Amino acid sequence: MVQDLLESSAGLMNFSIFFVLAVVLLFVILGFVTMAILAERKVLGFMQGRYGPSHVGGKWGLLQSVADVVKLLVKEDLIPKAADKPLFIIAPVIAFAPSFMVMATIPLTDKLQFADLNVGFLYYIAISGLTIVGMLMAGWASNNKYSLLGGMRAAAQMISYEIPLVMSVLGIVLLTGSLNLNEIVAAQGDNGWFILWQPIAFIVFFIAATAELNRVPFDLAEAENELVAGFHTEYSGFRWAMFMLAEYVYMFAMSALITVLFLGGWLPLPFLGFIPGAVWFALKFSLVVYILIWFRATFPRIRADQLMEFAWKVLLPVALANIFLTALIKEFFLK
Amino acid sequence: MTLTGEFFAFMSLALVAVIGGVLLLNLTKVIHMVVALVFTFVSIAGIYVLLSAEFLAVIQVMIYSGAITIMMLFGIMLTRHHGDDAEPKGGMLRKLALLLGVLGFGAAVYFGIYDLDFQAVPNTLHENNTEQIGVSLFSHYIIPFELTSVILLAALVGAIVLARKDDEKEGDQE
Repeated sequence: MVQDLLESSAGLMNFSIFFVLAVVLLFVILGFVTMAILAERKVLGFMQGRYGPSHVGGKWGLLQSVADVVKLLVKEDLIPKAADKPLFIIAPVIAFAPSFMVMATIPLTDKLQFADLNVGFLYYIAISGLTIVGMLMAGWASNNKYSLLGGMRAAAQMISYEIPLVMSVLGIVLLTGSLNLNEIVAAQGDNGWFILWQPIAFIVFFIAATAELNRVPFDLAEAENELVAGFHTEYSGFRWAMFMLAEYVYMFAMSALITVLFLGGWLPLPFLGFIPGAVWFALKFSLVVYILIWFRATFPRIRADQLMEFAWKVLLPVALANIFLTALIKEFFLK
Repeated sequence: MTLTGEFFAFMSLALVAVIGGVLLLNLTKVIHMVVALVFTFVSIAGIYVLLSAEFLAVIQVMIYSGAITIMMLFGIMLTRHHGDDAEPKGGMLRKLALLLGVLGFGAAVYFGIYDLDFQAVPNTLHENNTEQIGVSLFSHYIIPFELTSVILLAALVGAIVLARKDDEKEGDQE
């Protein structure tokens, strides 16, 4: 359907259809974010032997995040006097906009996708890199040493971990012969999921993805007990909510990407093809999100110097070796 | 000329790119300039997309978002941020010469490209261009490609060696 729309002639009608679709996607993602925050708090509570949110909206605290969002929206919007005002205002927008833009290329099922790009995977990596600029801007514009330190750490960390992230996927690209996410899923339908063919790449990718998401154990950029809150220390109310929103939308996008790249997207397990693709995607996706939350509950934060060493001295060589191995396997066994 | 979506997209992208460039020259704070540069580079990537060179566009964003972030870091670390360093403006004569130069350059470019007519050769460059770039890079241009990688490696090693030397000296002083 989207393909026909993309090829039809431009006009106001066309524009409004796209606009409505994008708004629908935005609301779906906002719904996910509220549920993800609740799920995170519930799972963390479960793992730490407490209940988590349990009052607002029934026994399971279903409306807790909604109440939190409403609180954030009506909160006073503070801009520090010494802050660089234009940058301070534009930074949350620059941090959030790319997180929503990357959603365009991720195929949720074989029919449900906005843009079937030839360079889908690279598009994700490139656009998500723009968020770093927003974070660094926020850190600098706040005119606060903790913010600046957090921004610096975020920039160093995200640029370093982007490299193993891309390198680990090159193995998959070699096996598929395409950067198109749809074709990557189709290749998994023929040969089995890539988590079986590329286990090393999966581990490297998962670690690098956790670092890209700035989540524990890689949350040095916002380490609350050293840096107060990192680059968003001075932000409050809705601007702060934008940063949090960007973080959780990236969690959505990255989990979806892991599902598509390694877990076969919407493809069913053998003999279970009668369950629709969307359900399979949701199941695998939820599993990835659960593992990310599990990481947060169980790993201690690593030190700043170890962080960079780990990216450059462990993950990158392993990813390169994986490319080499994959090329050898493809050349000698899969001809 | 009809007002198609492509024309509209090109105009807005070009406008953002030009405004970004002008702001880059006119702003006074380093960080503001870098942000203006971000807008320019991203809209140039958008223009690549319009030319159906999406691989190039994605690489443009990928390389420059990293590069700009690094530049921002250096801008923060190596410059002063107290604002009161307004440069003295040049005299009237200088401004006039500048205006003439700009007009001359504009005229030269205008007359240069106004009647330029590329023969529209039907080609397939817009289909699967990632694959095409890869094939020609690794068959036709393999030697320049390998040479570039060797030069980059040499630069990398050189940078590390230079940085290491500084470290040791500091270590001796302590």
